[in-house]
Amino acid sequence: MTTRTGDSLRRAALVLAGALAAQGSAAAADAALGEYLAAECASCHQSSGRQQGGIPAIIGIPPDQFVALMQAYRQGQRENRVMQTIAAGLSAEEIAALAAYYGGLRQAE
Amino acid sequence: MQIDRRGLVASGLAAAAALGLPAPAVLGQARPRVVVVGGGAGGATAARYIARDSQGAIAVTLVEENETYQSCFHSNLYIGGFKGYDEIVHRYDALAANYGEALTLARARATAIDRDRREVLLSTGQRLPYDRLVLSPGIDLKYDSVPGWSKESEEAMPHGWKPGRQTQLVRERLEQVPDGGIIVMIAPPNPYRCPPGPYERASMFAHVLKQAGKAKAKIVILDPKESFSKQAAFQADWEKRYGGMIEWLGPKVHDGVKSVDPGTNSVETGFETYRDCAFVNVIPAQMAGEIARSAGLAPPGGYCTIDPATMKSASDPNVFVLGDACIAGDMPKSAFSANSQAKVAAMVIRHELTGSRAFPARYVNTCWSLIDTDDAIKVGGRYEPKDGRIAATETFVSAPGESEELRRQTQAENMSWYGAITADMFS
Repeated sequence: MTTRTGDSLRRAALVLAGALAAQGSAAAADAALGEYLAAECASCHQSSGRQQGGIPAIIGIPPDQFVALMQAYRQGQRENRVMQTIAAGLSAEEIAALAAYYGGLRQAE
Repeated sequence: MQIDRRGLVASGLAAAAALGLPAPAVLGQARPRVVVVGGGAGGATAARYIARDSQGAIAVTLVEENETYQSCFHSNLYIGGFKGYDEIVHRYDALAANYGEALTLARARATAIDRDRREVLLSTGQRLPYDRLVLSPGIDLKYDSVPGWSKESEEAMPHGWKPGRQTQLVRERLEQVPDGGIIVMIAPPNPYRCPPGPYERASMFAHVLKQAGKAKAKIVILDPKESFSKQAAFQADWEKRYGGMIEWLGPKVHDGVKSVDPGTNSVETGFETYRDCAFVNVIPAQMAGEIARSAGLAPPGGYCTIDPATMKSASDPNVFVLGDACIAGDMPKSAFSANSQAKVAAMVIRHELTGSRAFPARYVNTCWSLIDTDDAIKVGGRYEPKDGRIAATETFVSAPGESEELRRQTQAENMSWYGAITADMFS
């Protein structure tokens, strides 16, 4: 992912974060659920946090931003058919669980 | 091969106690045993996730005959010159080292399964007892599915549908095709490993030939199917990128492959005979790997029926079948599918053996295909158990005429995914 894409990603997140933060924190994060669901993400997003080419690293993203990004995929504001399809299959509780899981991870070096 | 459980009973119990887990569901032994047969996208993922997440409470043994894993996925990129062969070869060293005594690698071939005694027999003569067995043996080829072709002629007319020497043979034969030469690809009938694979491969053939200044060469695909994966996007870009180099013929148009002759490199269809072909690529019909069939988990020549909520064999609740060998409903036979199915099986196995939490099964798949430099397309979806099968709940496919930027991004994803899934299997 280029820096420009990264910036626009962050911008989209900031726009949505305020509106959606309440929704994200309303669902209490379920750690075990987050761990199970994260296995699905690991097929494409390396769990080490390593970024390689066209698929961004997702560990360490603040939970509110994670929630906002997933909502942006659900609503089609971010365009990627894989992520739109995956986001559409996740409930608010599941997104909150994933956000908490990935927000708590740090890149291993 | 070394299987050593010294001291593991105590450490397993200690780990379980530390985790606050209930007593193992399997009674009469301290530490449940899982045997995984096949170290590919299904088996390696299952072994890794069970070992990693059970933290010593389950003893996992991964049975794999080969010293290295050579991926079928992205082997077309090797054929097309986009990857070196060493980039699709992976070692099991990290998998064997990273999980300590929770994961043992058995370098052997599984020769039989005694389902009554719950034991896997190995080529070394050893018997591995199991509480749960994961079978992920991949496919076997039906050597009798194309008249005139056989195991003996797989050098003359390579398939390249199992990794290794066959993949390299396809590349070598491609390099020898002269300008104006004809390649005939015989595509397989459903269901088979990697539905878009033959068409990505034809794209790579055209790419290599065009790069070599051999644009007068032709690739004829004789297909027993009326349609194929990502067809509209493939065919639009074949025209745009390669002019008339790739010709796809459906069964009504060629009237069936009547015979091939490896001695003269000819192919006879109902309507015509292709003589003196520069290269004939026979991709035959396929079936579940032998170990799954001989265990009675698939009908002769077929694949294994599974329970869509658990990935358990419909014939044996102690056996899980993953990946290309199983009937996964709407999911294609892909590495991504096998990797996804493995995570459901790992979750169910941990639940049954250690009392860890169970979650509803959920599956996902994406298959990327490269057509030309920076021009990739994708198909995929998410899936859930429904009405006794794994059913698609939402799918997507690349459309013809997408922007060059989107196609470039799709290829960047494709390359990135490869790094991620292989890390998810082997790290």
